[in-house]
Amino acid sequence: MAALGTVRRFFGSYSRLKNVQPSKQTPRCSVRLFCGETQQTHLERPRFSDPAVQDILTRITGLDLQKVFRPIKQELKPPTYKLMTSEQLEQAVHLASEEAKKRLNTPPVLPERKPINDVLVVDQILDGMDTAKLVFTDITYSIPHRERFIVVREPDGTLRKATWEERDRMIQVYFPKEGRLISPHLIFKEENLKFVFSQDRHEDVLDLCLVQFEPDSSDYIKVHAATYEDLDKHGKYDLLRSTRHFAGLAWYLVSARRVDGLIVDMLKKELLQDAVSLVSLFHMVHPHSESAQEAASQQAAGTELLKIYTQKESQRSGYIQLALQAFEQRSAEKSAA
Amino acid sequence: MVHLSSLLLKTYRGGFVVIRLALAGHKQANRPFYRIVAAYNKRARDGKYIEQLGTYDPLPNIYNEKLISFNFDRIKYWIGCGAHPTKPVAKLLGLSGFFPLHPMTITEAERRRAKMEKTEAAKPEESPEEGQKEVEV
Repeated sequence: MAALGTVRRFFGSYSRLKNVQPSKQTPRCSVRLFCGETQQTHLERPRFSDPAVQDILTRITGLDLQKVFRPIKQELKPPTYKLMTSEQLEQAVHLASEEAKKRLNTPPVLPERKPINDVLVVDQILDGMDTAKLVFTDITYSIPHRERFIVVREPDGTLRKATWEERDRMIQVYFPKEGRLISPHLIFKEENLKFVFSQDRHEDVLDLCLVQFEPDSSDYIKVHAATYEDLDKHGKYDLLRSTRHFAGLAWYLVSARRVDGLIVDMLKKELLQDAVSLVSLFHMVHPHSESAQEAASQQAAGTELLKIYTQKESQRSGYIQLALQAFEQRSAEKSAA
Repeated sequence: MVHLSSLLLKTYRGGFVVIRLALAGHKQANRPFYRIVAAYNKRARDGKYIEQLGTYDPLPNIYNEKLISFNFDRIKYWIGCGAHPTKPVAKLLGLSGFFPLHPMTITEAERRRAKMEKTEAAKPEESPEEGQKEVEV
């Protein structure tokens, strides 16, 4: 009974310790959904998850049904044939586009997570007791992974919180997620990335990365940055066009102010609306740039916006002007014919 | 006549619940792996338990970590029901920070330190002797 009393007192102290810790950890939100931002930095600057930004990005991504539903490696089933009236066909196409929109759900773009350096106890008595670290994981089923207690007792006696990599590994050991490996796939090494990019398989790399890493881990951000850089260098934007990664690519380029290649590509493919919305997104994200202020003062829209952008901001203005002229010529020919 | 009821319903008179380590994977030699388990005291060590509360892997992995897991929610429940943790489980819980450090952990640490100091004191006496022997030979 006395033991129970002491144990209860220590539980009291531990629960106090537990109440201290969650405030230091990230706020409770499942990573796969769009988090409402709790940190109020950059009040003026729009975030990736703003509805206006998301709207523009979904419009630019496009909805090529043929590409979204292209055959993936699955179990072979014989095809089914249905006899439909044209109305039923329209309904079926409508349902398919709904399904495609669900598949094109963009993964969130979050700032890089800060490393955990929290030491709970230093027990110098335990120095040299063990040659290995002891990692303690809390396997209670009903707490979200972000709030789980994972502590490490070092051989020199310090009890510290586990680093993000250790946390990811332990959570994968005890709560395995399908497709995720304990140590990351060899494809994420730099030499292998170059090889895979030369084979035009950026989408596969990004899919693997999405499964393997958390969206705010440094590996995820590095791999995505490398992929987007490579795509920008070679102008292969079409590879990602109707996939869920296109929004991330557009956001990355807009934040880095290097949208010229993408605009040229859109004009070549005669997607004027997309180019216009991209420029408007750029003005939303960088409201203090010259072209944004010019556009706001002139209340421009459509090709006017593009022309203002080419004059003020872009580094490859010649290219964009040429592309614009070619596009106008083609549209004139079409309207004439 | 064998009383079948006594074989099927192993309710114990005066038995209690313990939280202890049970050896798992008994078909593999030289590879221990323990389950942290709430079981009746009278049951065999590896026999039928009430609930599994965690694991303990005594061999370190490639990152030099020994992995231990606890289901703290259920451990709290069983301790609230009056289960007793055994000494090794209490030591592990102490090292994890859930319990205070077990006195035997501290005692072992002090004994180890005393032994280390003894061997260190013995070594400087031995090494000059060894040096002389090598020179002679």
